[in-house]
Amino acid sequence: MRKGADRILVPILFCLGLVFLLPLIVTFTNSFMTEAEIALNYTSRLTVFDLVDGVVDKFIQIRLIPKSFSVDQYKEVLINQPSFLILLLNSLKITLPVVLGSLIVSMFTAYGFAIWDWKHKEVLFSVYIVVMLMPLQAVLVPNYIIADMLHIRDSYLAIILPGIFSPFGVFLMRQGMKAIPPAYFEAARMDGAGYLRIFWHVAVPQLKSMIAALCMLLFIEYWNLVEQAVIFIDDYAMEPLSVYLSRLAEGRTGLVFAASCIYMFLPLWFLTLGQKDLEKGIELSGVK
Amino acid sequence: MRIPVGVMFILPGLFGFILFFIWPFCISLGYAFIDKPINGSFTGLLNFIELFRNKSYLRGLSNTIRFIAISVPLNMGLSLGVAMLINKMKKHKEFFSLIFLVPLVIPSGSMVSFWSSLLAYDGALNGFLQTVGVEKIKWLDSNLALFVMVLIFIWKNLGYNMVLYLAGLSNIPKDYYESAWVDGAKPRQSFRYITLLHIAPTSVLVLIMSMINSFKVFKEIYLITGSYPHESIYTLQHFMNNMFASLNYPQLTTATTVLVVIIALFAQTLLRLERKASE
Repeated sequence: MRKGADRILVPILFCLGLVFLLPLIVTFTNSFMTEAEIALNYTSRLTVFDLVDGVVDKFIQIRLIPKSFSVDQYKEVLINQPSFLILLLNSLKITLPVVLGSLIVSMFTAYGFAIWDWKHKEVLFSVYIVVMLMPLQAVLVPNYIIADMLHIRDSYLAIILPGIFSPFGVFLMRQGMKAIPPAYFEAARMDGAGYLRIFWHVAVPQLKSMIAALCMLLFIEYWNLVEQAVIFIDDYAMEPLSVYLSRLAEGRTGLVFAASCIYMFLPLWFLTLGQKDLEKGIELSGVK
Repeated sequence: MRIPVGVMFILPGLFGFILFFIWPFCISLGYAFIDKPINGSFTGLLNFIELFRNKSYLRGLSNTIRFIAISVPLNMGLSLGVAMLINKMKKHKEFFSLIFLVPLVIPSGSMVSFWSSLLAYDGALNGFLQTVGVEKIKWLDSNLALFVMVLIFIWKNLGYNMVLYLAGLSNIPKDYYESAWVDGAKPRQSFRYITLLHIAPTSVLVLIMSMINSFKVFKEIYLITGSYPHESIYTLQHFMNNMFASLNYPQLTTATTVLVVIIALFAQTLLRLERKASE
């Protein structure tokens, strides 16, 4: 490889990266604008002065740097508007049980698949893969039907339970489990360890980065819940943040940037913490 | 009879999986062949015929297929390009792959106000265009909306594919390129005969994952344009979503059945292709 490659590559990738991050940067800097400045920038309605000046077309202006720096938006969202915190809590109430539940269920199931000697277990597992490959829209109707039957349609359980038992976690954990040399399990068996002990002391420590990856992927997915919220949740007070923000964008533009920033803070933080693990998870999510 | 220990570990998860996925799916399949969920009578293929006569469904289906056909190959090419650039770097590899992963983790809701202020008819983009003398463009309310949808999809999903490709590229032994270079191969040739050949199995995986992820673009589109967007971006998801609103069981379950069959056939073909490619 030629030595000067980095000198050309860095600027190219930097510019491309900047384009990719632009929406994020704008949202971030705009969250420090005053509500008045937002109102001014994000309206295209003509004022009396414009008419006098002969301005015919006025456009929304996306400005990068606030005229005056203020944390008013954050204050308004976090302190004066309890509704925002309630909806943030709603998002957590859905996301956390799914992440924890799916993690536990999928680790046990994947472990079971690893230690179970049955010729046809791969056939059973391929059913998991087929369901995993289905886009969300294909499983929503079955989800809806079963929620209706169990009379949980109006509660978060209608979203949480299918999330916990969804095949993706089982698949990913099994991919991670396959990387553990079978000799580890055998050696532990020889030493007389029980299956639960082996699970806890052999499998779990080997799966640490898979666990992190699964938690992140599930968190990202359920933190960003849109479809299920639209279909299952009728009560506005029970909605997660995702849907609420689009409504806020129509109504109170002045707050939406701060709200968006708070909303995206957690996944971004997790990404910087566990980039390596997430990448590994994505690599292993490639069906093989 | 002793139950194998493995089964004991699988059973709880399997029970939930069957209860929440397999069983309701079978019920949904049954609903597709009867006229109404309660005390319905068997109608044969009537629901399917009706579905394929439904103009909104056909529009949604064809738009979805068109969207996938445009966005998936484009995204694959671009993400391979970015992955190859990053792969060539000596330093800062991680930093740059972090940047392209960021859109993936950002919740769709957080970006709605940005996209809509950028793309609105009186939005910032048109404002900019006017200063350089271009007429206002209806980004979200014309056939261009499909193009916008493709761009948002690429913005969000490039990172995912890039990670898959980076893994595939790092598996190609470096001396392949060196010996090709010694033999006097041009860069274009070594790209074609080494890179492309070796990442063929990865590409099939990327293709499968992209197709599945391509359905997720609905989140952004729905949040930006609502239930009834311009007809060029009225997708299958919009159709099903609106059927939910009226709780039209026969159409919903029939549409689900058709979708499952299409995806299952596609996935099977592609998985077979993947096996062939890795040989």
